[in-house]
Amino acid sequence: MKIENTKAQMRKGVLEYCILSVLKDEDAYVAEILDTLKDAKLLVVEGTIYPLLTRLKNAGLLNYRWEESTSGPPRKYYGLTETGKLFLNELNTTWSELQNAVNLVTRKKTTKNE
Amino acid sequence: MNKTVNINLAGIFFHIDEDAYLKLQRYLEAIKRSFTDSQGRSEIISDIEARIAELFSERVKNDKQVIGIKEVDEVISIMGQPEDYLVDDEIFEDEPQPTQKRKSAPSKKLFRDTDNSYIGGVASGLGHYLGIDAVWIRLIWLLLAIGSGGTFIFIYILFWVLVPEAVTTADKLTMTGEPVNISNIEKKIKDGFDTVSETVSDVAKNVSDSVSGAAKNVSNAAKKVDLKKQGNNIKSSSKTFFDTIGDIIMFFFTVFAKFIGIILMITGAAALIALIIGLFSVGVTNVIHIPGLDIIDIVNAGNTPIWFVSLLAFFAVGIPFFFLFYLGLKILINNLKSIGNIAKFTLLGVWILSIICLIVVGIRQASEHAFNERVIEKQEFYIAPNDTLKVRMVNNDTYGSPYRNHQSFKFAHDENGERIIYSSDIEIIVKSTTDSLAFLSIEKSADGRDYSSAIERAKNINYHFKIKENEILLDNYLSTEIKNKFSDQEITAILYLPENVIVNFNNNTKNFLNYRTYDGNIVSSNQTNHFLKIKTDEVECLDCPDEIDSDMQDGDEGIKINEEGIKIKVDSSSLRIDKNGLKANSSDVKVNIDSNGIQIKSDNN
Repeated sequence: MKIENTKAQMRKGVLEYCILSVLKDEDAYVAEILDTLKDAKLLVVEGTIYPLLTRLKNAGLLNYRWEESTSGPPRKYYGLTETGKLFLNELNTTWSELQNAVNLVTRKKTTKNE
Repeated sequence: MNKTVNINLAGIFFHIDEDAYLKLQRYLEAIKRSFTDSQGRSEIISDIEARIAELFSERVKNDKQVIGIKEVDEVISIMGQPEDYLVDDEIFEDEPQPTQKRKSAPSKKLFRDTDNSYIGGVASGLGHYLGIDAVWIRLIWLLLAIGSGGTFIFIYILFWVLVPEAVTTADKLTMTGEPVNISNIEKKIKDGFDTVSETVSDVAKNVSDSVSGAAKNVSNAAKKVDLKKQGNNIKSSSKTFFDTIGDIIMFFFTVFAKFIGIILMITGAAALIALIIGLFSVGVTNVIHIPGLDIIDIVNAGNTPIWFVSLLAFFAVGIPFFFLFYLGLKILINNLKSIGNIAKFTLLGVWILSIICLIVVGIRQASEHAFNERVIEKQEFYIAPNDTLKVRMVNNDTYGSPYRNHQSFKFAHDENGERIIYSSDIEIIVKSTTDSLAFLSIEKSADGRDYSSAIERAKNINYHFKIKENEILLDNYLSTEIKNKFSDQEITAILYLPENVIVNFNNNTKNFLNYRTYDGNIVSSNQTNHFLKIKTDEVECLDCPDEIDSDMQDGDEGIKINEEGIKIKVDSSSLRIDKNGLKANSSDVKVNIDSNGIQIKSDNN
């Protein structure tokens, strides 16, 4: 059991949720999603996101449109579908439950340790 | 200084250094391998390419700037290693799946390393390919070249011709890929088996998990979803399981194929070398005309130039072996230079042409034996009844052969220094005649394409015999001029003898007499050195040990009385009385009483 693997697994577990959250309010292209995620230190390398995006798109949670770019190749702007929105709402609930549960468990332990 | 490559990445044009290009290419290849088609591989790759293009665009200040290895390294560190792309369910296992298998060693190819060459860079290229220091390869080459008597020099030259030279940086990088050595092969097999066993245990685990999960929570809808997921898991696990099996089978297949390749290569090379040696020893000697080696020329009655025939044979046999060798080499070395379609079809054409020519030559050669004609020379002589005629062979000191040897011939110089063909294909036949005169008939025969050439050849056979004072001297050889070729020339000496003449064949005629008697021949080869009396269509041996002797020599001493008569044998003496009469033999005297009367023969007279 390597700490790096566990860390990566924890991060990757919430990655899909985070991607959907980033796209909640407005459509974004990959670099923008990446910027947000990298600022939050959720991502170390960019590569991880591409298979995830494709998977979410194939699952019908995301769709995309092409937009021309002045500085580089045309960009894929991703947005949430209706299913994606429902999915995100469900995940929101799960996440807050999970957050509470984790908080509860970790806080209890900390108090105990004290 | 560096060579640059132009690339199109997601529709954007970039100049990129060659080494940087190769690195980027390997990177993208590795990423490609970490996905399967079901995951939408091509889409993911094009997204990644678009992102890389974007990152490059940010780094390129103007159109003329070239992307170097530094930029590629930066981009790779941003994008992450191929392992980072694996976000599948596998990542949630305790240990990530071993990725070495997917990454697979960069494919290395065989090139000639002319930078570190002694001769053609073959050894150093092989050194890179096999991961062994070139010094050892050179040593092995040297030992093989000496040990095989130069064979491997030829193979070296073929390598030199067929293996491409590492010219570009790309070639040089591919040349020095991961070496194929024993430890790597071992590692590869081990990896393969590890993956299989892991996958098997995973599948088992998944199955038991889902079965127990299903049993516990059949009613639970959420669990049903889980079960479905587990099912997918099993599917993907078993898929990788079969993929791994496939990989292992492919690996062994490759090893097997390489082995076959080596065998093909060695067979082809050996045959080619043998043929080349053959061609040189036949063809060249013929052109240079070393005396004593014209034998093939003599057999060649069809008058086809021998160098032409050997060249045809060389092509007809050599070209298939060359292709065999090439095939073997091709199996062994993936990036072998193609010999080109023109060369291939030329070789094929030459081969077909050679076959056709050989057939034509073969037919011509065969037609040389279409006619067998003979000329007969007769000489009569007188011999009184009960006189003894002696027959013996005379050999020529320079080129006589004591053995009659059908279909063989030799080559020699005659007294005048002319080259001649000589053969000992001579047969003696003895017949009885009712004439009072004896005569000797010499039949000379030879093969030819038509009647006249056969007759001509038969006439040109030189054969001598002498008849003097009750003695016949026969040459034990025949000869003919070299221009007549060897065309099954033979001599049949037929001796017609009147009845009651006694004939004695010298021991040296043994090999020229037929080994048995038949209608036309009354003296066999085991009757030499005896006095034979000619009868009608048979001979009577006057001094042969009696048949009775041979009958009784089988150790059956004593007295035997049966329906045939009486046989008595004691030591060397015997007595026999039967329907033929009486025969008594002892070491000193022989008595015969039969239909011819009484004969008494003793050692003293």
